[in-house]
Formats: sequence, C-alpha cells, structure tokens
Amino acid sequence: MTPSHESLQLWPAAVSATATETDLLILAFTVLTLLLTVPVFVAITYFAVRYREGSEANRQPSGIRSNLIEISWMLIPFLLTLIFFVWGAKLFIQSKNAPPDAMVVEAVGRQWMWKFQHPTGQSEINNLHLPIGQPIRLHIISQDVIHALYLPAVRMQVAALPDRYTDLWFKADKIGTYHLYCSEYCGTDHSVMGGEVTFMNPGDYQDWLTHAGAQQGKVAAGRALYEAYGCAGCHEPGSAVKAPSLAGLYGSQVKLADGRTVTADEGWLRDKILNPNGDRLAEGYKQVMPSFAGRIPADELGTLIDFLKSYSSPAAGKAADATPAGATR
Amino acid sequence: MSEGLADGVGVARAEHFESVAQQREAATLGIWAWLITELLLFSALFLVALITRIQHPEATIAAAKHLKFWIGATNTVVLICSSLTMSMAIEFSRMGWQRAMVRAMLATAALGGLFLVLKGYEYYADWDEHMMPFLSHRPFALAETPAARLFVNLYYVATLLHALHLFTGIALLLAMTWMAAKAGFLSRHQNWIEVYGLYWHFIDLVWILAFPILYVVNR
Amino acid sequence: MSASGSIGGTARREPHTPESTIGRKPDYLHAESTLRSWFLATDHKRIAILYLASITGFFVIGALAAGVVRLALIVPDGAIMTNDTYNKAFTIHGVVMVWFFLIPSIPATFGNFLIPLMIGAKDLAFPKLNLTSWYVFMTGALFTLVSVVLGGVDTGWTFYAPLSTAFSNTWVLPALIGVTIVGFSSILTGLNFVVTIHTMRAPGMTWFKLPIFVWTHYATSLIFLLATPVITTALILLIAERAFHIGVFDPAYGGDPVLFQHLFWFYSHPAVYIMVLPGMGVISEIVPAFAQKKLFGYRFVAYASIGLASVTFFVWGHHMFVNGQSDLASLVFSALSFAVAVPSAVKVYNWTATIHKGSLRLDTPMLYAMGYIGLFVLGGLTGLYLATLAINQHIHATYFVVAHFHYIMVGGTVLAFLGGLHFWWPKFTGRMYSEPWGRVSALLIFLGFNVTFFPQFILGYLGMPRRYATYPAEFQLLNVLSSAGATILAAGYIFPMLYLVYSLWFGRKAPANPWNAKGLEWETSSPPPTHNFLSPPEVPRIPYDYPIQAQESRDQHG
Repeated sequence: MTPSHESLQLWPAAVSATATETDLLILAFTVLTLLLTVPVFVAITYFAVRYREGSEANRQPSGIRSNLIEISWMLIPFLLTLIFFVWGAKLFIQSKNAPPDAMVVEAVGRQWMWKFQHPTGQSEINNLHLPIGQPIRLHIISQDVIHALYLPAVRMQVAALPDRYTDLWFKADKIGTYHLYCSEYCGTDHSVMGGEVTFMNPGDYQDWLTHAGAQQGKVAAGRALYEAYGCAGCHEPGSAVKAPSLAGLYGSQVKLADGRTVTADEGWLRDKILNPNGDRLAEGYKQVMPSFAGRIPADELGTLIDFLKSYSSPAAGKAADATPAGATR
Repeated sequence: MSEGLADGVGVARAEHFESVAQQREAATLGIWAWLITELLLFSALFLVALITRIQHPEATIAAAKHLKFWIGATNTVVLICSSLTMSMAIEFSRMGWQRAMVRAMLATAALGGLFLVLKGYEYYADWDEHMMPFLSHRPFALAETPAARLFVNLYYVATLLHALHLFTGIALLLAMTWMAAKAGFLSRHQNWIEVYGLYWHFIDLVWILAFPILYVVNR
Repeated sequence: MSASGSIGGTARREPHTPESTIGRKPDYLHAESTLRSWFLATDHKRIAILYLASITGFFVIGALAAGVVRLALIVPDGAIMTNDTYNKAFTIHGVVMVWFFLIPSIPATFGNFLIPLMIGAKDLAFPKLNLTSWYVFMTGALFTLVSVVLGGVDTGWTFYAPLSTAFSNTWVLPALIGVTIVGFSSILTGLNFVVTIHTMRAPGMTWFKLPIFVWTHYATSLIFLLATPVITTALILLIAERAFHIGVFDPAYGGDPVLFQHLFWFYSHPAVYIMVLPGMGVISEIVPAFAQKKLFGYRFVAYASIGLASVTFFVWGHHMFVNGQSDLASLVFSALSFAVAVPSAVKVYNWTATIHKGSLRLDTPMLYAMGYIGLFVLGGLTGLYLATLAINQHIHATYFVVAHFHYIMVGGTVLAFLGGLHFWWPKFTGRMYSEPWGRVSALLIFLGFNVTFFPQFILGYLGMPRRYATYPAEFQLLNVLSSAGATILAAGYIFPMLYLVYSLWFGRKAPANPWNAKGLEWETSSPPPTHNFLSPPEVPRIPYDYPIQAQESRDQHG
C-alpha cells in the first residue's frame, strides 16, 4: 500500500520546481541558523570553562560600549533573517497564483475521506492520479469539519473549509507515487484520511482515465465509502455493535423479523440503506441502524452497492481493497 | 484622594499596606484593570456582532426589527438614572451622610432591578413572537433567513452576559448596603463605595454600547 | 558547595543578619499548621505553595498522557490502542499541559511567592483575591478533570470549530467550561501582579531597580489582562454554539469557523509569551547569580520584555497561513513574526554576555539555565522557519511544529521552571536539595529532551502530519527514537520529585542566601516570615549589584 520508501529517510522526495526551491530555502536558512547559534553555543561552553569559579582569568571590563553591541545584535540577525522573509514570501505568492491553463481537479474532504474528480468526470476516493508536466489546480472544499489537503512531495498544503473554496496548485515533473494526507485534525480517523498521489506521464494518465480510472477504482472506492460512512464500524466482524456481516450477503436469502424471506438483491440493499428499519429488519436484530436517506448522494450509493455486490467473503473484500492500489503502480 | 472627605470618613489600613494612600491607590488601579478586561470581553462579542452585521446586512436588519426598541431605550434611561443615584451615593459617602448614602444605594439597586424586569418582559415578548431560535423545540419566526438566527442568538449571548453582570452587581450592592447601614462603616470602608461605583458605571457603559450596536444601527 | 559567606570583601554588608530572626517569629511555613490555615491562606507564599502542589499534579497527569501518546507511536499501524484513545490522549496532554501547567506554572508559583519579596512588599495588593484565583483555578480544573473521567475529549487543545461544536461526540462541554473558568484565574493573578508592581514597591525601589523577573512578570500580567478576555469570549461563543447551536461558527447560518481560529489565536499566541516571558525572568536571575556578575544590558533586557509582550499581539495570523487567510494578511503576519526575533535575540545575547568574564559556578540551576538558552535559541529560530511563508506551506501541522513548540515550551518554560525551582527551593522551604542528584537530573532531562524532540524536526520535514494515530511505516525508526527519548525524559522528571520531597525532611537547613545572590528575596530568612521582612529592606543602589560589574554600569548608572 505505501509508496516505496527507505526505513530511515532523511530527506523527502521533491517532485516540483517549487518543492526543490523550498528545500533550497530551508537549507540556506539552516546555514544562517547555524551561523547565528553556533557562536552562542561555543561561547557559552567556552565561558563556562574559561571563567569557572576560581580560574585565573582576566575579569576586567573590556571597555566596549554596550549600547553599540546591543544595537548590532538586535539588528544584524534581524536584517539577515529578513532576506528569508522576502524569499519565502516571493515563493508563497508564486504558489498562490495558479496559471490560467492549469488543469482543475475538484477535491472534497469529508470525515474521513477525500473525493477527487477529474476534469473529464472520473472520480476517485483517497487516491489521486495526475499527469506530470502540466500545472494542476486542486479546487478544495469540505463537507463537514475543517480538513487540510497535504502533499509533501510538492511541499504544499491548504485547508479544506466547509464554507468556501481554497486552491492549491503545482506542476510536478517526476513520476512516482507519494503520500497524500489530511493535515488538519478532523476527528477519530484523521490519521487514515488519505492515500496516495501518483504522478504519471501524460500518456499513461490518459490511459488511466479510460481504463483504471473508470473501472478498477470502483470497488476500492466503494470500500472507502463503506468505511467512511461508518458501515464498517458496525457491520465488520468484531465490532462493538453486533450488526450482521455484509460479506456474501448479496444474492443470499435473508429471513426478516416479520417472518418473510427476501432475496438480498440490489433494490433491497438500496432500500435497506436508505430506510433500514421498519419491515426490512433482519431476524434476530434490533432497530439501531440510522437511515442514510439524504445523507448519501445517489452516485455514492451506487458505488457502495457495487462494493457490497463484490463483497463475497471477508477475504475477498480485503483482496478487492488491495488490488486496485497495487494495479496503479 | 483623602482630601474632600468629611471627618470620620475614611479607610482602615489593611495590615499589608504601608499607608492608606497606598491602599486606595491599589484598589483604584485594581478596579480599573478589571474593568479593562471586562470591556475587552464585551468588545470581542460586539465585534462579532458587527462582523455579522457587515456580512449579512439584510438578515440582521430583519432580525433587529423584532427587537423591542422602546424597551431597550427605556432601559438605557433606567441605567443612566441608576448611575446618577450611584454617583450620589458616592458623594454622600464622602460627606459622611450615611443614611442618604444607603437610600441612594437602595435606589440604585431598585433601578437595576427595574432594568432586569423590563429585560425579562422583553425576553418573554421575544419568546411569544417565536424569536428564540436557540430553543430547538420552538420554531423560529425568521427561519427562512439563516443569518437572522445568528444575529438573534448573538443578541441573546450579549444581553444575557450583560444581565448576568447586572444581576451580580445588584447582589453585591445589596450585600454592601446591608453592611454600609451599620455604624462605623464609613470610617473604615468608604473606598468600597468608590470602587463599587466604578463597576456600576461600567455595567451602565456596556449597555450604552450594546444598545446602539444591537438595536439602533441595525434598524 | 554553596558557601553562605560572601566573596571576600566585595559584597555589601547585609543590614540585618537572618540568624537574629530565628526564634523571634516563626516563618510562614510554621506560622500555623492546620489544614484550614493552608486552604484559607492569604499569605502569597502559602498560596504559591498551593499552586505549586496543584500544578505538579497536573504536570503528572499531562506527562502520563504524553507517555500514552509516545507509547502508541512506537508502532505505525495503531496496534497498541484505538484511534479514539490516541486522540483523547493527545487532547488531554495538550489541554492539561497548556491550560493547567504551562500558563500558571511560573507566574502563579514563583511570581506569587517572589514578586512581593523582590519589591520589598509584605504581600500582594489583594491577598484574598489571590486565594480566590487559586479556587477559581481549581474549579476550572475540576470541570476539565470531570470531562476526562467521564470519557475524555478528542478535539485537540485548540478546540477548532466545527469539529468541537457539531461533530465530536465526546465530553467537550465540561472541558470548555473548565478552560473558560481557568481564564478568570489568570486574569485575577495578572491584575494582582500589575497592581502590586505599580503600588507596593518599597521606598526607593524605582522601576529600573526592579529585577528582570519582575519586569517579565509585569509584561506577562499585561498579556493576562489584555488577551485572556478575548479567549473567554471565544470560548463562551463556542460553548453556546455547542450547547444551543447559535450558528456563530456554522457556515449554514452565516457564521464562520475560521472566526474562531482568529479569536483563539488572538489569545493563544500571546499565551505563548505568558509561558515564555516568566521563564526568561527566571533565567535572568539565575545567570547573574551563578556568574556573580551584573546582568549585561539590564535596560535592554527590561525593554525587550515589554517589547515581546507588545509584538506578540500582532502575529496571531501566522497560525493560519494555509487556512484560507488572504495573501496580504499572510504577508503582514509573516513580516511581523520576524520582528519577534529582535527582542528574543536581545535576551539570548545578553545572557551570554553576562557569562563572559564572570566567575561561574555550574550548580543545578545554572545547568538548567544554560540548557534553557540553547534550547530556546533552537526553538526560536525554528519558529522563524515556520514564519517563512513558503516553508510554512510544507511544515505547517507537521511534527516540525510539534518539535518547535516543545523546544519553546519544554526546553524553555519547563527547564526555566525546574531551574527556578532549584534556585529558590532553599527560599521556599528552608532546605537544601541534593546537588549531585540535581546535576544528574538536569543532564538527564537535557539529554532525554533532545532525543525525544530532535527527531521530530526531521519527521516534520519528511512530511509526517501531527495528531496521527497511525503513520506510514517508513517513519517508525524516528518515532521509536523519540519514544525512547521520552523514557529518559521521564526518568529525569521523576528524580527531582523524589529528592526535592526528600529534602523537605532530611535536607540540610538552608541559610538566608545560599547562592550569594543579590535581590531583596535573599535579604530575609529562608523560609521568610509571614510578612516577608522583619525590618523594611534596604533597596540597593543598582539592580544586580554583583561583585563583578559590567562596563555599562558606568555608562548607565555612573
């Protein structure tokens, strides 16, 4: 699942020119930091030894006027650091103004998943496939709390706010698969709200759009919805709420609480999700499931049902989860 | 500061102060510092109300039309009168007129009480007009304009916080009046009246800020 | 070790010898011994001890929560605990450490105890208000602890809306109420200090004779008074939003969730200086005492304290560079944040210059002070990294931030707190602690701290977001290193708790001035009598009247 990284990595991969320049900026800043701090550390250590109690040292005042020293060590470090303010600000403004020809990808954050929609209409959950060599602008919004989309490989993040769009643009120039995170704390599963961003050659990207993007991602997307809407929290074996397992449910015969038996087909699954209780309650279970009517959009409901249809057994479900991610590499 | 006080009026020095003058200075500075923090507390709230007003002018005006302007205006007058009686109490305390001072303090508390009664009636009228959007079981009259709900709720937060200050103020005032009615009070604790007076004027000031910000500019 | 005699001939003769005070009147600790005399105490020194005991308790709770966090992060896949448990652990750690330890830590204990002594007063201006502020503090703490006992909070100490108002299913309300109440205790303490420093100074104690400790506490108190009311309003609105859904932070009703962040950081950035400035005051007392030399650049250091307290009100926006703030606002806040470097640099360079040509004794408090200077410098400069807009876009909300503020809060405030605790322990308790154990613990803490937090700078730059219960496997090695460092740090914290408590009964009796330090607090007995001085103290000619004078004393005071 994870991008291939060394077990001890000391510098993150950079895939855009801005990322490389950010690295240069921080390295240069570090040099200045060392210039400003090492003398202090050395001086403290040296003075501690040289002027320890009882040592023979000249303790006569040196006669330097202190106001001059004070003003110089107030201003010189400050002016030096201002260079980095200007440099950082320049880079920041640049990274805030996307070129007009950028390809726009819509990103929606929700507890706890990302949904991306490509300009050609394909959408994916948590993972993102993008072409290199072209400016990309992510147009971001949240459906609930504040999230933040963070792509370390391009050294950028921006908040996903519930009431207005934010933008993040970059131009990647190296192919590869890298992490994609939520970086604004958003509740229980904050740390699993993310996936991978894959930068591909434009040709491969077109290929992906026509094949993988439309087909292979669907079951994985359904699985992500299954977890994001909290279905897994009750219906997975071992959960605290002992709801019936959904693995292998599709197509089977279900005994209901009122004695009838129905076949779990697509229509019944849909009704069951939108209006779970009432006369659809399975035998031996209580009315605890909330209704998802109005909470799940029609296209996502379809994706979720597609996943349930393929969810023949727990093992198969896991496989379905693993396959597409593997296929994208 | 001790000039202008009648004979037998003054302050008993607490043990940890070097002089009465120091003690008075500390008390005055202390109450001013407290009032500054209180003013900032309300200012942040008023700022939020003004931001709402700027962002959603129509909704705010629609909501403000439901506020009882005349009750608010009357209450402003009531509080200004109470500041006047409080100032009289301070003046009487300086002159050593204990009975007059106690009566002025009682009048101040009564005017404060009148404010709360009028405010309570205003809240009741609001309730009657379905203008309490924070009550989940009671429909809100302006439900079709969401920002109106926000403004009305802010109005409640601000006025309730002010009413809480006033209520505390009246309780303190009555407790102090009870003590001030006893013999010898003015020779030991005259500065309590002065310090308390500043707090009362402050409560008045907050309302004088709240009234235009909530009632007037939004009409 | 610390001889009570003065360095030959150079020290001014003390006007009244502490020995003569013994037997005449009991000290503040022994004045009364009933439980009632402690819980209804109005003596600023006793209230300081009440605070010291309470915040030590909160430090332990906060540290245990940190232990849970570090335990969870040993493995990348979250196998040790659920995400919920992890989220609650880091929230409790943050809430308790920030609101119940760091903010009151130095002001409410050392400030309370020492400000009247240092300015030659009998007590704070309002002793009953001082006691009230402790009860207010404990009431707030009670609410917060109730929320922990009922099941905890999972919003993070920042309580960002709308997560905290509409989405979290945990005990947010009691925690919010607790934090709101604690704010009032801060306000009351700050008010008391401001009034005391203005009106209670002994005759002859002019502003520029005040120790830097008093200056920094004055600056801190101004922040208490001017910033805390704003967070109180923000929290009241947050409580109303959660309880009644008033809409102020809800976009559906025209509210704005980012507004909460503005109100929150308008207080919480200055609050950083509530935590940092008193520590700077402690260091400014320790360094001259152990160098036996006048503080270099006294007036600059004093002005720098006020400067920091002022600048800090104008930089809150640097917490929101990536939160949809306008680019212009970000530029302004970034530039202003760089200005914070000026007064900070003044302090650090002046401490270093004070050591130059001093007569140094490397006792425990001085070890902490030297550790403080080093860690504060690193913490401060990494703050400038974060203030740099382009870098912030990458390391905002990563472990780089976590490492940065722990260098300031732990490397700064906690080391200053421990340094001050050892420095004034003889004054507080009348007993000497064990110097060898003190030095060993100081070194352990310095080592453990760096092993814990330095790897987090790297983790942050590599892109590990903060507040993650699970993380990619390639970050495990650095996380395990960090957790290992935390165990060393924990050992370093446990030792002082043991040997300091041991010294209360078995420590050597402390003389009035064990470090041969200057300042009025050393002119009275250890521990001091109830009203601090038996005869009015004599205010010295200049502050930090140490045997070795810096050149500038001729420039500025001659």
